[in-house]
Amino acid sequence: MLKYIVKRIVNYVVMLFVAVSMTYFLASAFMDPRSNYMDRHPHPPVASINHSLDLANINDQTPILVRYFRWLKAIFTRWDWGLAPDQSPVGPAIASRIWTSVELVTLATIIGIVAGVSIGVYTAIRQYKWQDRTLNIIATFFLVIPPAVLGLFVVLIAIAINNGVGTRIFYVTGLSSYQGSNPFLWLLDFLQHIILPTIVMAIPGTVSYHLTQRTYLLDSMNSDYVRTARAKGLTLNQAIRKHALRTSLIPTTVNIAFSITGVFTGAVITETVFAVNGLGRYFVTAINGNDINGSVCIAAFGGVCTLTGALLADILAAWLDPRIRLS
Amino acid sequence: MANDNANNATKSETAEAQLDLDPQDAAVADAVLDEEAKAIDGNNKAEGEFKRTGRMTLYVRRFFRRPSAVVGLVMLILLVIFALVGSKFGKWHYEDLDFLSLGTAPNADHWFGTTGGGSDMYAMVVRGLGRSLAIGIISSIGTTILAAIIGTSIAFFQGWVERIGMWILDMLLVVPSFLLIAMIVRSSAGMSGWLWLIFGLVAFGWIGYARVLRTLTMSLRELDYVRAAKFMGVGSFRIILRHLVPNLGSVLIINTVLGVVGAVSSETSLSFLGLGIKAPDTSLGTLLNDGQSVVLTAPWVLIFPSIVLIMVTFSVQLIGDGLRDAIDPYSRSGGKAK
Repeated sequence: MLKYIVKRIVNYVVMLFVAVSMTYFLASAFMDPRSNYMDRHPHPPVASINHSLDLANINDQTPILVRYFRWLKAIFTRWDWGLAPDQSPVGPAIASRIWTSVELVTLATIIGIVAGVSIGVYTAIRQYKWQDRTLNIIATFFLVIPPAVLGLFVVLIAIAINNGVGTRIFYVTGLSSYQGSNPFLWLLDFLQHIILPTIVMAIPGTVSYHLTQRTYLLDSMNSDYVRTARAKGLTLNQAIRKHALRTSLIPTTVNIAFSITGVFTGAVITETVFAVNGLGRYFVTAINGNDINGSVCIAAFGGVCTLTGALLADILAAWLDPRIRLS
Repeated sequence: MANDNANNATKSETAEAQLDLDPQDAAVADAVLDEEAKAIDGNNKAEGEFKRTGRMTLYVRRFFRRPSAVVGLVMLILLVIFALVGSKFGKWHYEDLDFLSLGTAPNADHWFGTTGGGSDMYAMVVRGLGRSLAIGIISSIGTTILAAIIGTSIAFFQGWVERIGMWILDMLLVVPSFLLIAMIVRSSAGMSGWLWLIFGLVAFGWIGYARVLRTLTMSLRELDYVRAAKFMGVGSFRIILRHLVPNLGSVLIINTVLGVVGAVSSETSLSFLGLGIKAPDTSLGTLLNDGQSVVLTAPWVLIFPSIVLIMVTFSVQLIGDGLRDAIDPYSRSGGKAK
């Protein structure tokens, strides 16, 4: 088992290195930090532009390989992910935003998993009955609503409720606004802020876990060992609970492990709609500001999340499913 | 994991779910279809006719037996017509600004109201719908073609090609594609932006799908006719194009249709963030972005593009689900042939 895990980790580290390097070259080829300065009227003297670009190691007149090795050296020797075009360091800016994103995403993920899996099991047992059909139509509807539309409509409804009641129940921007020290009021304030983004992010999660869990459970309900269990005299419910459900949870568990990437990409739209200053917003600003180092650092962080999820998924699958050979 | 990511997950999940239609089940599919054909033939015989019912006819019948699929198809056709000829009926061109009515509510002159800058929302929605549909459909087709060729090739050649190919596919999935697309599209401005967006969506959208197709091909490549073709000396690419890809046909069609939903969703997300389509061009996502800032003062700027957008994705999803059930031999959701 240990050997298997070590092997996977080594493979993933190599993968991450290649992928991040590729992203660096791609970003350097497509992003043009020089235009940040040249678009100003009148633009600053070329020598001074070159100087500031050189300081951040993003000057397009320096050969790309030279820049790449400088960048690598800084990361491996000093864990320095470079500077944005405005000379602010990229690493600390991202580190300080990770917690915000985690805060925002955790609750929504948990709600999505619990609600989605329960609904999935409920509908699979009642396949093609009216409950299944109704919930399926609702799920299809929410599945196809683009996240931006969902977020904006939740904002519209929340504002309508606020206006209708006459007091401010929901806040539609930021994650907290309470300045005092009363922990109860702080919690209330936090909940007032977090509830809307959580709804916006929990709905797609719920829908996707519902549909996949339903498929998985239906697959295992039709398998031979469940039929055997029924033939031996178990009721349908017993057979499902004791035999079908357990196997159908394996792929869902693997999916949950993969969902770790969501901490980072997940909330881009939600953060924009609700003006939360997390990783997603940082990413949008970095791209719009031609911030090569910032974008690559975000990409690297996303890659680490994906691979951590993949590793967890490997381990969980091997642990849950004895058929997966560990060699 | 939240919005986009959940979306991605959903995409791959539904891909998996769609693809539980194993090509090896083709034999079963044929058997079931034959039975249905016989049943229908039987009916015809009773009436004194002898007409063979082809597979396509059966698919069509099974598709139209599902009310939701028909609703989806009608909705999509209406939307396409609206996008093509809608601008003929409007009183304004999408580039014209009406400085006498800035941010007015819907009225007889501006059916969907105007934006704060005086653009007619009706013309903008027609234009944006056309752009979004074009981007969604073209990039979904491109993604499917690329994924089909690469996915089947990796599985067909086996050995070290397969090992290296899979490693590269996994490696490309490490960095979230949303990020890479944004990087590429951001640098392009003006009217060619939408072509770059299609390029980005295709270039980074095929990877997960190619993996799924490779898994399906693994069972196909062991079939006798593929081996026979190999021993006859048929070239590898000819085998891939003539024997492997057509056998994944139904899976590919379903995924192209459902891929449109994902592509439209990605497009609107990117444009909404200001990283996709940018002015002077417009798409439904760009319109949502405009609407976001005036949610309170001019909600029509947000509401009309949203409704059209939901209609697009919902109708395509209904068509995709209908197709899947029509082609899937095990599906009982459409009832049985009478």
